[in-house]
Amino acid sequence: MAALALSEAAVHARRKAFEALKSELSAKASLPSLPMEGTVATAIPELDRLLAGGFPSGIVATLEGATGRWSVAAGLVSAMTRRSLVAILDDGALYPPGLADAGACLERVLIVPVRKALEVARAADILLRSRICRLILMPAIAVRDSIWARLATLAHRNGVLLIVMATRAGAALSAAAELRLHCALERIIMRGTHGLWGGFAGFELRVNLRKHKHILPGRQARVRVGEVSDAALR
Amino acid sequence: MLLCVDVDFPELWEEMLDALDAVSPLIDDIRPGLAFLEMHGIAGDVRAWMMQARRVLNGFGSVLRLGAGPNKIAARAAAYVADGSICEPGSECELLALLPLTLLDIEAEVVERLALLGIERLGDLAALPHGPFVRRFGTAAARWHELARGIDRRPFVPRSRAVAIEASIFGEGRAVDEAQVFFALRMLLTRVSADLERCGKRAGALHLALELEDAQTCTFDVPLAMPTAHERTMFDMMRAKLEGATFESAIVGLRVQARQLEEGGEAQALFGAGDFDPQRVAVTIARLEAMLGESIVRATTREAHLLEDRFVYQPFVCQPESKHPEFVGHPERSRRIVPQLRLLEVREIAVELRAREPAMVDGQAVMQCVGPWRIAERAFTISPVTRDEYDVVLEDGTFARIYRQGSHWYMRGVYE
Repeated sequence: MAALALSEAAVHARRKAFEALKSELSAKASLPSLPMEGTVATAIPELDRLLAGGFPSGIVATLEGATGRWSVAAGLVSAMTRRSLVAILDDGALYPPGLADAGACLERVLIVPVRKALEVARAADILLRSRICRLILMPAIAVRDSIWARLATLAHRNGVLLIVMATRAGAALSAAAELRLHCALERIIMRGTHGLWGGFAGFELRVNLRKHKHILPGRQARVRVGEVSDAALR
Repeated sequence: MLLCVDVDFPELWEEMLDALDAVSPLIDDIRPGLAFLEMHGIAGDVRAWMMQARRVLNGFGSVLRLGAGPNKIAARAAAYVADGSICEPGSECELLALLPLTLLDIEAEVVERLALLGIERLGDLAALPHGPFVRRFGTAAARWHELARGIDRRPFVPRSRAVAIEASIFGEGRAVDEAQVFFALRMLLTRVSADLERCGKRAGALHLALELEDAQTCTFDVPLAMPTAHERTMFDMMRAKLEGATFESAIVGLRVQARQLEEGGEAQALFGAGDFDPQRVAVTIARLEAMLGESIVRATTREAHLLEDRFVYQPFVCQPESKHPEFVGHPERSRRIVPQLRLLEVREIAVELRAREPAMVDGQAVMQCVGPWRIAERAFTISPVTRDEYDVVLEDGTFARIYRQGSHWYMRGVYE
């Protein structure tokens, strides 16, 4: 009995020590992370620091949250169109002038109109196999687990970054994704007074790292999403 | 020296041109009934050339006028004056002076206007001062004035030789599954590719005709991203096009024709190792289009008041990376993180106002609001639009663009 009690106490002590170490590591915002090779840098320095250089290529990643995920994606599209083609599987909500305002070269953006979940999956499959784009953006869809697994395999095999835009990733997508980021609106930045004489200067986002193969999850970055320009929006 | 061939009733014009190949290999086909033959380096004199031209065209039974001159206008003028005339170099102005303005192939209205000004002959036109005449009649008048003086700068464009490259297979059974069709297709494309290479040509497009057992014919036009003679590329494109197709009965015949033939080999970029392959892009786009039944597009932006009018979609056209001048030498084009608007399907919303500003949107409190911005498109539009747009932040954190049109409120999009 005594031996059992001792071992229980030892286990308890170890568990406490492990939890303390885990919380200490999670709390370290400035945990040094070495830049990784083969990453795709975004146009957002805070995010690149969070991800140790950028998005790893050849994976499925998710950008989640209600606000800000497309702003982050636009930065990535802007960076990628300098070097290669980018494909966006569009469910009809894309606003291309916003991408152009973010610095993306629209000539290198293939816009694939998709309506149904199966079309999204098949289009992503064709694009991944063709290797013509290094970045593919697609909306989250409700499909079988095996389809996500297949897309992840294809992305890995062909070195293509597949980003899934989801308000909240489901279990199958979460399992297939090697990188998960969650964007949350922190605050709106106003310019001038409200009403006719005011304007939104932008907003601040809190980007949470929820899953990464090499970096401890739980880290955060604050990203300021720039000026809502008059030219672009009014 | 050029030889002008002017025929009154050119029913068999192409055949006549083929026959004229025996006189000169370089023929500029202006229009049915009018052609010029470049005689530089051809043995014999003008009389002998004309005699040979008459001999080869004799069997066609058309009324023929021949003329010779140092350039096109002189040769044509010579043929106009009398069949068999020759305009010697230096005597162009003298020959043209008495001829009518219609020889310049200008619009009847212009001829009429000139006639009202007393200009009826080419000599009258040549006598006009160049500057004031061009200022009055536009830049095209400079060419008319030169032609009237016997100066013809129009280039000699030799007609391309019609080479038909095609391969077909008929009467060798019926194909009921796609593997058989693809096998036959590959065989035909091997032949087409070999013929293209033998002729030193590339195809810019392919035409496929499928004959079905029920006597129907299905045709497919397959444009290639870049003209090519590469069999694999042609096969991939053809297969991608056929992926979405279904047929009501078995296929009993196939014909593949190479179209838009071009001379020479394929262009290769010297420093294009990182370029994407336009053929591969074209194959992928063809596969996507076959699967979706819609075009793959790219967007271009434009100036407009309404959000939804600020961009247009066009079919995606792929160019090698090195041909994009916009980014070459400007790797650090300004990049900004800007809020991205997502255009939702427009739906009516319930808005409560307080102090003439939205206070509640669909039951949610408005935390912050800016606007309105009046958008009015009245002039030159079929359906005039006037609306007031607002940006609002709702209590659930949604950052949206809403607008009021008339007495109704609508949700236009959300910022993500």
